[in-house]
Amino acid sequence: METFLKKTFPWYGWLLGSWFPVQYRKAFTILFLTVLLYAGGGVVVPGFLTLEQILLTLKLAAFIALFGLCQMIVIVAGGGGLDLSVGYTATLTAVLTASIMDGRNAYLGIALLVALVLGLLVGFANGVLTSYLKLPPLVVTLAMADILQGIVNAYVAGKAITGRPSPVLVTLAAKLTGVFPNILFVLIPVAVLAILVFERTKWGQVLFGVGANERTAYLCGIDVKKVRFLTFVASGVLASLIGLLLLGNMGIAFKDMGSNYVMPSIAAVVVGGVPLAGGGGSYFGVILGSIFLQALTNLLTALGLGDAGKWLGFGIILFAMLSVYAGNRRSR
Amino acid sequence: MDAARKGIVVLPFEVLKRALLQPEASSLLMFFVLFGITAILQENFFEAKSIVRTINSFAPLILLAMGQAIVIISGGIDLSSGAALSLLTCVLTTVMKKDDPITGVYALILAFLVALGTGVVNGLGIGYLRIPPVIVTFATSYAWLGIALFLRPTPGGESVPWFRVFYNMRVVEGVPEVLKSLGNYVPPALLLIVGACVLWYIVSRTRTGRYIYAVGSNIESAYVSGINTGKTQMLACVLNAVLIFLAALFFVGQNQTGDARMGGPLTLRSIAAVVVGGIALSGGRGSVYLAIVGALILGFVGRIIFFANVPNAYQTLVSGIIVIAAIAGPAYATLRRELR
Repeated sequence: METFLKKTFPWYGWLLGSWFPVQYRKAFTILFLTVLLYAGGGVVVPGFLTLEQILLTLKLAAFIALFGLCQMIVIVAGGGGLDLSVGYTATLTAVLTASIMDGRNAYLGIALLVALVLGLLVGFANGVLTSYLKLPPLVVTLAMADILQGIVNAYVAGKAITGRPSPVLVTLAAKLTGVFPNILFVLIPVAVLAILVFERTKWGQVLFGVGANERTAYLCGIDVKKVRFLTFVASGVLASLIGLLLLGNMGIAFKDMGSNYVMPSIAAVVVGGVPLAGGGGSYFGVILGSIFLQALTNLLTALGLGDAGKWLGFGIILFAMLSVYAGNRRSR
Repeated sequence: MDAARKGIVVLPFEVLKRALLQPEASSLLMFFVLFGITAILQENFFEAKSIVRTINSFAPLILLAMGQAIVIISGGIDLSSGAALSLLTCVLTTVMKKDDPITGVYALILAFLVALGTGVVNGLGIGYLRIPPVIVTFATSYAWLGIALFLRPTPGGESVPWFRVFYNMRVVEGVPEVLKSLGNYVPPALLLIVGACVLWYIVSRTRTGRYIYAVGSNIESAYVSGINTGKTQMLACVLNAVLIFLAALFFVGQNQTGDARMGGPLTLRSIAAVVVGGIALSGGRGSVYLAIVGALILGFVGRIIFFANVPNAYQTLVSGIIVIAAIAGPAYATLRRELR
């Protein structure tokens, strides 16, 4: 992709001169693509390039980016890690806590506790099965997704899902401050923290080290299994907490509220330039990837292509990005 | 002497235990047990009508699981098989017009080409671009879903009447009486499954069949031995696509409609059937026919849940738990043996 852009736009290479940090090059590429998308969209669809529209995109992209963080933690640790259960964990949390809170702030603490316990349980199960029993993460988390969806189905069978989120969550996730969506006040600290942990702490070093070369990491005295186990726990807890925010944004809980985020979360990670083999990438890129995907969704919706266009577009973008980033032709 | 006697007593148990730890043996045992339980619970289980109904309800999963098994043995995995099935039903029901029998032929040809296309795209990603199979088929599954939604945003569509031959030959006019009476005992679904088995039997006897196992078990050695690994994995994906096509014929024959989302849940179930059947997810080992056993096990479990009066809402939950149990059990046994 970079070479393609350099050939098409001669000044692109100058922009990415030696002063530009290497780990952000892919992120910059995706930022560039997003700008191109917006420019194109602004020409084709009138009113696509307004501040409100962009801020709305950011608000919706924030949820993808948060799920993308769960996904990135697991993927960076390598070993074919992938968590397909994130959206379903969020759904279950939202469905359970909606009836606990029922629009009251006083019960937010209990809801948080429930979310934490649920996330820990799911993450623990995923982690033990994948890391200690050496089962393929894909199948385990896919089956876990089925189990969680099954619990939701059983819980809501034959009755309506009752309850509303507490007002605090609604303010945090759905409301705007002026034109600025409040969810960004959640995403920005999370992003800063995540980037600091990934790039400036020992934990981040260990995580990337395990993903880059598990044998070397093992010989350096790192408990590889434990690290991978912990990534799944972290992903589960985060996904569960995102479920609370999702509930705040939607106002009600319903059966499929989280499952639609699984595909975008993985796509955002791939588009954001995180190698699926683990050991690289930056969360900044993932956030930009989410914005790109959400902008693409909005554009396709504005063009009247709806769900069909969205999923087809996601599939094609993901396939194209994979063949650029993740392909492994040269080793042959 | 004591030790010798002990040896004589213990040995059969050890042998039995070892045998049961083999994935094939344990899946076959599980199959017979579940078969027995179902036969006891369902009163008219052995009547011809009931057998036909059982085969019909299991057929799509069996076909998908066989295709999945071929891809998994070749070292890949297909997360898009359910979506491809939905897409094919949408293609078939969009091309066909109820009053014009010839459109059925066009639909068959076009759907077959689309099926080949899905296989080729997956094979391109897995075999030639060498993208991790999990993620490339995850991406294509959404592409198929998108195209299917374009064709058929809501379930529906129409089908030519003669398409019912893929489900029940008796209700179609113009079918010879011999075939109709045969259809009482040998449903078309069974013929499709037998056809799939014959197809795989032929392929497995050729060089390609052995290459599929070689590539799945160690792609590097296969490559340096001069096997065209890309082509082999591509062929595995195309074979899978052909089996999905057969499943789509059955589905449209049965329901006369297309549905862009019907296949989604079948993807995990097909992988589960492969795992339960005792085929290694790491590739290169196991027999494709074991996938049929796995699919039957899952089907019988569903039946038993039904007879146990467990509400429909619990079906997803139970099938998820079964998958985890089926793959965690052998892994736990291996771990115990390694630790000792």
